[in-house]
Amino acid sequence: MVLFTKTKKSAALRAWNSTGSAADNSDDEVARFFLTSTEERILGRQYEVVLRKFCSEFQPPMPKCVVGTSLAFFKRFYVFNSTMDYHPKDIMLTCVYLACKVEEFYVPIGQFVKNLRGDREKFADAILSFELTLMGKLNYHLTIHNPFRAMEGFMIDLKTRHQDLQNPEKIRKYVEEFLDRSLLSDACLIFSPSQIALAAIKFGAAKESISLDGYIRSVVLQSASEKEAENTLYQLRRVKAIVKGFEPTTREQAQGVQKKLDRCRNQENNPDSEIYKQRAIDKLNGEDDLRPIKRAKMSEVRF
Amino acid sequence: MLTHTHKIVSLLGLSVNLANCLVERPETLSSHIHDIQTQSPDAFIIVTGDFNDCPRKTLLPFLHQLVDTPTRGDNCLDLLFTNIPNSHVCQKLWASGNSDHSLVYLRPKYTPMRHREQPKQKAVLVWTPEIWDELRACFDCTDWNVFVNSTADVSELADTVCAYIKFCIDCVVPFYNLSNQINVDETKRMMEHYKKENREQIKKNQSKMSKDEEMLESLIEQEQQEIMMRKALLKEDEQREKAAKRKHKDALIDDLMFSELSAEAIISSHRESAKQEEEELKAKSAATAFSTGIKIGHQSNIVPMSRTEQGVLFRYCPLVMEWCGPDPPSMDDIYSDGYLKNIRTASDAERAGGFREAIACHRALQEAFCGLYSYPTISPSPVKQPALIASTSH
Repeated sequence: MVLFTKTKKSAALRAWNSTGSAADNSDDEVARFFLTSTEERILGRQYEVVLRKFCSEFQPPMPKCVVGTSLAFFKRFYVFNSTMDYHPKDIMLTCVYLACKVEEFYVPIGQFVKNLRGDREKFADAILSFELTLMGKLNYHLTIHNPFRAMEGFMIDLKTRHQDLQNPEKIRKYVEEFLDRSLLSDACLIFSPSQIALAAIKFGAAKESISLDGYIRSVVLQSASEKEAENTLYQLRRVKAIVKGFEPTTREQAQGVQKKLDRCRNQENNPDSEIYKQRAIDKLNGEDDLRPIKRAKMSEVRF
Repeated sequence: MLTHTHKIVSLLGLSVNLANCLVERPETLSSHIHDIQTQSPDAFIIVTGDFNDCPRKTLLPFLHQLVDTPTRGDNCLDLLFTNIPNSHVCQKLWASGNSDHSLVYLRPKYTPMRHREQPKQKAVLVWTPEIWDELRACFDCTDWNVFVNSTADVSELADTVCAYIKFCIDCVVPFYNLSNQINVDETKRMMEHYKKENREQIKKNQSKMSKDEEMLESLIEQEQQEIMMRKALLKEDEQREKAAKRKHKDALIDDLMFSELSAEAIISSHRESAKQEEEELKAKSAATAFSTGIKIGHQSNIVPMSRTEQGVLFRYCPLVMEWCGPDPPSMDDIYSDGYLKNIRTASDAERAGGFREAIACHRALQEAFCGLYSYPTISPSPVKQPALIASTSH
């Protein structure tokens, strides 16, 4: 994670230097002017919360897997990109819009932006212009395996092969709570969805003071070798540690970071900036420049 | 005297009294006829009877009188009116009984089709098993080389052979309804005549038959070579065609990209030029067909179908899933172990679409078990070292 952040910063730095506006950049200066990795993390976390809230208030109500997928897109995007390069408020909305499409819960852009307050047309333009960038930066890995279906699978298996358990449905509430928490953590970047789901089942049941160790050891990991079983159980504990250890960021922290970001962000990717608009115009003009070439070719055809 | 061509017939007979009435009130009859005509416009109307002193011309202006012979002495008294002129021919017969009026026979001019046509005889071939044998024998003793050697043109050869076959059938197969022995002598004479005329050639050909058998091996070899050659030619043609198609496509795309003519115009012009080239190619291939040196006499008319190159034959390989985890229950387990009790049953609409609850169950279980043994080694960095050095040197 740290490695990525360093390279991300270097990319931002290079972009900045090329514009020639930062003359001096000693490490201190850099740290004072640009966001540190911790600050980027805080900002990302903050926007994940915003994203979740946006999704929960979305009309029509969206299925859970869309939330999971958009959060996975968001996290994956910022593994390789900096919040200074792409502002999370644009990427966040684009992630949700793309996730709606990928999870076959398609909402037309007009209806989508109705869930937003403010200049809806501007939002729509931003979302559509970042959509391709987002897909490209995700390397077009658009299928996200969310832990929800895996969790359902374990519930079915539990009911069928572990009939000692009376009324398995009573643990569902805690299991789902665990999964919801896991969405905000980095678990989906580190563990397979089935591991997250099994951890959710295990620790959800623990809240009802039910131990599913017997089920996991004798049914799920029945065919596993000793080492595989040990490793899997270790992974489950790690999932729990990461999910439980997740600390939400405070609003004040995030606001400070955001102010800092407003000064240091890459204006080339800011749809409100002059440079972005200028580039868009240049691009349009560039298309006009192609015309004379076409005429030349036409004249060749004629004579 | 009536023909079946007239579907509706109205017959009006007038008595003497009525005729007398008509003298005073001529419009009665015409109005009556008028009624009939409006009721059935296609009716064939015949008005006959006693027309003594009737003003006929004014009374029935649209009817035609058909009797044109005197029926009593020199007078023509018995009249018959119809609405179709010249439909019948009048013939005077003798008087009946004590009457002083002659009978009149009106014969329709129209003759039915079956009376007009001359009887025809149709020749129907009689194919009995004996006839088949006879015909086979006839063809067996035929010297086919005569035809082959006489011409170099395939179509001409085909014509002559067909004509010969038809001739043989005519000679051998008897007609239905005709005496089948009718042409025996003549045919025999014809065959003898032919044999006499071509005796030398027949002998020559008979001796050649044995040579042919000796040459069979070499002929087969030759044929195989020809087939190979033809295959090669076909392949070459195919490749050329492919290349031309690619060229056309490229040119079309090029034009579409850079020309400012309308897309339709470009496409249509390209289609025309493609057609032209195709025709040229056809003409060329037609011309070269005979210059390949293949002997026409031995060439089979069936051109081998252009076969697409076959790749490796399809071989079924069962799908191997890598779970990176314990094996999830199979579809059979789902049915046998009672998994279906624990899930929502599919609705009728879903069933109609081919969905079974076991499918969803199977998928969920697969996702649950897949990847449980995934323990990637800690952070294999996708970022290369040089990039890191570059960033720190800044």
